[in-house]
Amino acid sequence: MKTLIQLTVNGEPVEAAVDANRTLLQFLREDLELTGAKHGCGLGDCGACTVILDGKPVNSCLVLAVQANGRSVLTIEGLAENGKLHPIQQAFVDKGAIQCGFCTPGMILSAKALLDTNTKPTEIEIRTAISGNLCRCTGYQKIVQAIQDAAEAMTGKEGS
Amino acid sequence: MLLPRFEYHEPTTLEDALNLLHELGGNARVLAGGTDLLVKMKRKLEKPSHVISVARVPGMDQIIPRNGHAVTIGAGVTAAELARNELVMDRFTPLAIAAGKLGAPPIRNRASIGGNLANARPAADFPPPCMVLNATLKLKSAKGERDIPVNDFFRGPGETVIEPNELLVSLHIETPPPWSGGSYIKLGARKAMEISMVNVAAMITLQSADGPIVDVRIALGAVAPTPVRALAAEDLLVGAIPSEELFRKAGEIGVGMCSPITDHRGTMEYRCMMIEVLTKRCLTEALARAKAWKP
Repeated sequence: MKTLIQLTVNGEPVEAAVDANRTLLQFLREDLELTGAKHGCGLGDCGACTVILDGKPVNSCLVLAVQANGRSVLTIEGLAENGKLHPIQQAFVDKGAIQCGFCTPGMILSAKALLDTNTKPTEIEIRTAISGNLCRCTGYQKIVQAIQDAAEAMTGKEGS
Repeated sequence: MLLPRFEYHEPTTLEDALNLLHELGGNARVLAGGTDLLVKMKRKLEKPSHVISVARVPGMDQIIPRNGHAVTIGAGVTAAELARNELVMDRFTPLAIAAGKLGAPPIRNRASIGGNLANARPAADFPPPCMVLNATLKLKSAKGERDIPVNDFFRGPGETVIEPNELLVSLHIETPPPWSGGSYIKLGARKAMEISMVNVAAMITLQSADGPIVDVRIALGAVAPTPVRALAAEDLLVGAIPSEELFRKAGEIGVGMCSPITDHRGTMEYRCMMIEVLTKRCLTEALARAKAWKP
């Protein structure tokens, strides 16, 4: 039996009928064709499926689509505005913090959730914020630097 | 990894949730954060025909201070919430520290304290802090309710005293007396997304800043089929003036209370050595906080 759900995805209202055993990740990727969130381990270990649910990063492979009813989801597709990359995305590009790119959407969303609540994070706070996101290209150093750069760029923008 | 099929229920009152559990009992599983249950269902270790989400039951996600004397923590409160709650950090410190070490941010934003306790994994992060804080767990069913001291809650790996028609709704914890302090240490091979090799929680109450120990509790995880209190070590400490040598002895006694196994996370011998060291270290941290106690 399908359940009717209504939620907000990247600012847009979405209504759909979903099976109870459909994960939010499956719903995003297969029903809405938002393939930015990746299916990695499927068990909440790798963080490739990270999306922001009501302001908090979560593993969308461990959230049921029905649980997202009435809630607000932000995926990597919702970050750029009018074709202009979000400062965190731009910093990842500038710093070479992307290699294969599989972990990148999750990394960037974890970083966004951090910078939304902490505009001047320490290196340890950054490393903790992305501790649920695995990068197998071993690119953590550049990722941390990119987030530091993004934090500076974002606070600089607010100040001006 | 796909989830097996099941029927989904999302009660919006506690009464409805309890009635559903009464009706469906053993065929249903309670879903809170989903970070344990959905993993087990994906791995086909659990195949409930009904899943009852308690996310929309009012009050399950609240931390309610009781006039400074106690706190009531809803079973659905997330690890992230506990880690950043000032009252919990200040007065129920081992709980806040453990909350900040569970999994990683995306897991902490979903994982609930009730789920962590009810899953009863021997290495879980929340049981030892709840044990040293003498938490009482409130179990409710359509027929009534009962309060279970956390020390009587665990029966074995994955097993607790919860009946199929019961729901763990909240924890009640009395505020530790003046000159109390606590800590929690988790040992793993890495800092995040880790299952403990050994974990230790301790609470110490002093007579005064420089006085003897009047009360102490030590709980150890991942060292036996259930988390255990190191009662003999506690006996040694009560009434004594705290010292490094005394804490070392307590650690030695603590090892005797455990029956750790050898597995891919660590050998029995290594675990025993770590129980000794970490008990001492955790007591030292708890003592420092007890001495620095402020009204």
